[in-house]
Order: sequence, then structure tokens, then C-alpha cells
Amino acid sequence: MTSAAVAQERVATVTTAPRARRRWGEGPVHVALLVIGIVVSMPIIIAFFMSFTPLREIVSRADPEFLPDTWTLENYRTAWSASPFGRYMLNSFVQTGIITIAQVAFSVLAGFAFAMFEFRGKAALFALVIGSLIIPFELTFIPNFLLISGMGLANTYAGLTVPFLASAFGVFMMRQFFMSLPRDLYDAAKIDGAGDFYYLTRIVMPLAKGAISAFTIFAFLSAWNQFLWPLVITNDESMRTAQIGIRFFLVNQERATDWGAIMAGTVIVMIPTLLLFLVAQRQLVKGIAMSGLKG
Amino acid sequence: MAQTTTDSDIRIPSTNPPRSNHNWKAYLYLLPTFVVLFTFVYYPIYDSFRLSLNRVAPFGSDTIFVGFGNYTRLFQSPDFWNTVKVSLWFMIGTVPVGIVLSVMIALLLSYPLKRLNWFYRTLIFVPVVISSAIGGVLFRLLYNPVVGFFNHWLSLVGIDGPNWLNSKSWALVAVCITVVWRQLGFNVIISLAGIQNIDEQLYEAAKVDGASPLRRIRHVTLPMLSPTLFFLFIVNVITSLQAFGEINILTDGGPGEATTNLVYSVFVDAFVGTSFRGLASAQAFMLAVIIIFISFAQFKGLGKKVHYQ
Repeated sequence: MTSAAVAQERVATVTTAPRARRRWGEGPVHVALLVIGIVVSMPIIIAFFMSFTPLREIVSRADPEFLPDTWTLENYRTAWSASPFGRYMLNSFVQTGIITIAQVAFSVLAGFAFAMFEFRGKAALFALVIGSLIIPFELTFIPNFLLISGMGLANTYAGLTVPFLASAFGVFMMRQFFMSLPRDLYDAAKIDGAGDFYYLTRIVMPLAKGAISAFTIFAFLSAWNQFLWPLVITNDESMRTAQIGIRFFLVNQERATDWGAIMAGTVIVMIPTLLLFLVAQRQLVKGIAMSGLKG
Repeated sequence: MAQTTTDSDIRIPSTNPPRSNHNWKAYLYLLPTFVVLFTFVYYPIYDSFRLSLNRVAPFGSDTIFVGFGNYTRLFQSPDFWNTVKVSLWFMIGTVPVGIVLSVMIALLLSYPLKRLNWFYRTLIFVPVVISSAIGGVLFRLLYNPVVGFFNHWLSLVGIDGPNWLNSKSWALVAVCITVVWRQLGFNVIISLAGIQNIDEQLYEAAKVDGASPLRRIRHVTLPMLSPTLFFLFIVNVITSLQAFGEINILTDGGPGEATTNLVYSVFVDAFVGTSFRGLASAQAFMLAVIIIFISFAQFKGLGKKVHYQ
């Protein structure tokens, strides 16, 4: 192609592209995204509607339908009375609360030490933190089970939480944020006579609110959704977490084909994380995206 | 340090902070994290290996040292090779589909819409907060032959749907679909972040050169996205190897052993039949070696085959 032809083609595309875009507008993108969005969230939407559908309607329909003819709360009453969902939720909140608070506190402390202090073995210790990220849980959970049940901590909150009280990812994330703070800030605080701990809690932590809350959400989510560990470390029904509770509830109610009650239980268990998602989506997405870009 | 003391008076404090006096205090700040990491991550690695060299004696809790006996027993066992095969099929059935789907969706989401952006994102990102247990329960309903929706939808287009969870050939597909769905939110978020991270000027340059939207995706977006794609590939491979919750709820490893992957086999050997703890540890150890190896590939491979700006 001659340079004149290229130039001509450039002019042609520059002038025709906007016209083509104007003709179609955003319409097709909206349609495509709406269809994809509905397909992706469909399993959750179905669960919601079915949880409000009377059992006799579910089993008497010729074909599955989305919307109930009559809306009812009967499934929630069934779920709540057939299985101790209140207790499951309480257990999950205690388990998740302990893990989240400990992970955030310990990560802030360790991240601060790695970012601000010089000490012997710093590089090696930091390598140990990062190295632990690639140790899969499958490798450690049998010895951890033997250790914790040997100490008599099976079926306790301690047993549910103790292996997860620290987070290597949290330490890394906090360290990254603290290192981005200007060193002058630290020196100024020193000159004003602030101790390290005072500096951390009164000056650094308010500045790190965004990073800390992003990690808090992340920690809450992973703790709430845990499955394998609570499954093996609890066998007493009163100590099951919500995730394990719904698993056994499914097994029991499926025999009775009470899918309305199963979906009611499912909605109860996923409500906290769905609410968290709706309220803090921006921070959650940001936290996840950050982990990916670093990868 | 010695040579800097002479000009320390003209240095700005930020480059030469007085930190030597904090030495011992740092360990206090690190103590809680390292107590947990050593007790529940590093020590168990050794313990796991030790367990894998022992066998629980029948009718008792005594253990017998068997050296690499558990490993040789595994290599001779067709059940073990079946779990390896199932794990590989999981990988093949989830990773490519999951990545291709999420990149296509992320490309659409990156279109600068004036309205409703947040709405579509909410609908598409939402699986990211769903647990493996809930994912399993939701899809168990969808696969149900009587009240489920999948076969109803298939019948609308004239297809007689399979008995998903009870069929030896379809159970694995059913679990793969569930895993792909649950992983989709995460994958789209990462892909979209990668796409939005690409320098706008590259598109402008391509546009000026007369590249069509499809050519811009092919020659600008995808090459620039390769570090993200590589990251997604590694994370998804590891996730697929670790699939457990969905299997536990959807198929319990069955029918037969059709969906028993390595993790599931570790769980069954260690906690359903507790006398196979040594065997379970040996499998866990091999699984861990594979996962650690792949994680290392992430660090090593990053600089080579992927294109950076």
C-alpha cells in the first residue's frame, strides 16, 4: 500500500467509525451485558424466589417456574425449626469474628514491623511469610487436625479458628501500604516524642483505613466461606458453622424433597456475604483486583 | 554506614533514618504472626511428611514405620491413578472455559457505557462472595431431575437432558460447570482490572492506524493482557486442583469414583476411613508438591513468555 492510500484509509476509518457507533449506539452492549448478568446471577435469583414458594406449589408444578403463585414465609419457619440455623449463624459469626479480628490485628503489627524496622533476619522472616502463601491447605490440615483434636479442641471455637489467626496475605498487603507512607511522617512523629506503638495506632492506622477495611472484608469473606476445616473439626451439631449446617440440612431435607426449605436455609447462609458485597463491592473488587495485578 | 556518617548532617532524614534502636521490638510485633505460621503451616509440613511414612496398624492407633511404602502402594493402585486422572480432567474442564468466558465478559464490561455499569457488574461479580458449599447446594437444585431447571431448559430446545449427578460421564461435567460459575466473578474482576490497566494511548494509536475493534482486541488488548492471563491460568489451575466443597455436596466423589479428585481422596482416606491416614498424607504430600511447583512457575515464568509493556 502506498503512503497515500494508507493516509486515505486512515481518513476513511476515522470518519466512518463514529457514524457506525452512532447507528448502533450502546444498545447491543446493554443487551449482551443484561443477558450475561441474568444468566450469571440466575442460580441466586432462583434460590430467592424458591425460598418464598410454598412446598405444595414446588412439587405440584408440571415444569419448574421462577415466581411463586402465592408468597410464603413457611419455608423459613421450616428451616429455622428443623435445623438449629440460629445456632449455626451464631457459630459462624463468632468463628468469622475471631479470625477476622486476629488476622487484621496481627497483620497490621507484622506489616508495620516489616515496613518500619530494621532487624536481624528481616529478609529471611519476610521470605517465610511469603513462602507460606504457596503451602496448600491440603498439606497441613491432617497434622493440624491431629494436633487440635489431640488437645481436646475439636468442637470448640478455639479449634475452629486457631489455625487461621494469622494471614500471610494480610501481612504482605499491610507492609505494602505502610511502605508507601512517607518516611518523614515517621521522623516527625519521633521528634514529637511519639512511641512506635502510638505512631502505629494514632497516625498510621487512621491513614490506612482504606487498606485495612479492604483486607477486613477479604478476611471476613474467606473465613465465613470456609468449608473443609469446619467440616472435619466439628461433629457436634451445636458447633457446626453455617456452611456445614446447610450441607447436612440439604442431606436431610432432600430426602423429603423440601427444596423450599433448603433454599430458605441457603438464603439465610448467604445473606451476610451478599449484603457485604452490596455494601462494600467497590472495596472488595479493589482488593481482589490488587492481588491480581501484583500476581 | 561508616562512609555516610561524614555527610549525614546534609542528608535529609528520610534517607537515613535512625532505626538501629528498634531491633528487638520488631520481634514483638512479629510474634503473633510467626507463632501461628510456625505452628499451623511450617511444622505441619514436616509432620505431614512423617505421617506419610507411617501406617496406622489395623485395630488400633499404633503406627508402623513403612518408609516409602505408602507411596509405592499408591503408585501401584488403580484408584490413585483414577484420582490423578479426575484431577486432570477437572483442570481441562474448568481452566480454559473459565478464562475464555471471563475475558469475553470483561471486554464487554470495559465498554464505556454511560449508564447501568454498576448494575451489570453487580450481577456478574456476585459469585465471588458465594462459598463452595452454597455453590454446591444451588447447582444441586438446578441439576435436580424433577424440580431442577437445567433439564427443563434443555427440553425447551428439544434436548433430553442427562441424569447429571448420577451419571458416570456427566457428574464430572456437572461439577466443572459449578466450579466455573463460582470462579467466574473472581476471573472477570481480574480480567477487567487487567484490561483497564492497559494504556489508553495504545488504543488511540491503533485507531489512528485504522485497526478495527476486533483487530484492536487481537493486537493490543490480548498481548498487553498476557501477564493477567498467565496469572489467571496459574490461579485457576491451583483452584481446580483444590476443588472440594462442590464435590462434597454435589456428588460425594461419585458415582463410583467418577468425581473423586486427589483432594477428595485425601479427605476420604483421612476422615472417612481413619486407618488410611498415612496413605492420605502421602497423597496430600504429592498434591502439595505439584501445587508448590506450579506456584513457582508463576514466579519464574512471569518474565519470559508474557508480554510486558
